[in-house]
Amino acid sequence: MQDSDLDDLFEAARQQPVSVSAALMAQVLADADAQQPPAPALPNRKRRIGLISGLLAAIGGFAGLAGLSTAAMAGVWIGFVQPSALATVTDAFLTGEATTETVNILPGFDDFLSEG
Amino acid sequence: MPFDTASDTPDEALLVLYSNGDPAAARELTARHLPRVLGFATRILGGDRAEAEDVAQEAMLRLWRIAPEWRAGEAKVSTWLYRVVTNLCTDRLRGKKRRQAVGLEDAPDVADGARSVEATLVENDRMAALNAALETLPERQRQAVVLRHIEGLSNPEIAEVMDIGVEAVESLTARGKRALAAAMAGRRAELGYEEGS
Repeated sequence: MQDSDLDDLFEAARQQPVSVSAALMAQVLADADAQQPPAPALPNRKRRIGLISGLLAAIGGFAGLAGLSTAAMAGVWIGFVQPSALATVTDAFLTGEATTETVNILPGFDDFLSEG
Repeated sequence: MPFDTASDTPDEALLVLYSNGDPAAARELTARHLPRVLGFATRILGGDRAEAEDVAQEAMLRLWRIAPEWRAGEAKVSTWLYRVVTNLCTDRLRGKKRRQAVGLEDAPDVADGARSVEATLVENDRMAALNAALETLPERQRQAVVLRHIEGLSNPEIAEVMDIGVEAVESLTARGKRALAAAMAGRRAELGYEEGS
């Protein structure tokens, strides 16, 4: 047996395909399945938003709610206790002596209804 | 990831995908390595197909188990598998006495092709003779010769698989090849090798 003959044999052995039985393939894949670590769970991104938390979010959270409350209470306070600085302004407008002129900018629309 | 692009993915990346729960990664790794692992185990175990299938399944099982701890860049998956198979085969060969001869029916299956029946028979005879001759070699020589000349590994790779030095690999393969030639010396004409060819 010469070296070239051996090389020829090795080459033939290399070319020879190895057939894997379906049963072995199935067993190996079943092992792989059994040993595979579970896929990490994805975080749940869809949270249900309730009515109150939705409204709260719309006005900017608790900070927005605090600002809104403060503004509302200030409005009530100003309504009850009329400051003197405002009274001079309102008296000027609401005095009974003031004359009111009205300007009729659209005296009638009969002209628009006539055909022709 | 789509399965049709998996063939370009490196083995190490497939192991990471497998560890992350990708079911396609195990199929691709099995398709790549199981035939090679089975063929190698069959040759080292002297053609015992049933035992080789056990070894191949066990080697792949160890791959699945180590996948989450696989350290990238440390070893090639194929080299690691050869090493596991070599160790498993050594254990099995030590565990029981192997039968000495390999019959023609034990030769690995040959795929049907366009070749003539005669050519196939000659090839089967040659493979059976090669396997029988391989079985006469000492275990380490057989492993080195099969890894070098049939599996096509480089000497440094074989050194890694067998856990020995490169010089030892060279010595084992050279002695193994000489012993193989001697074992098959009387069968040259019988196997269809013409004089002077």
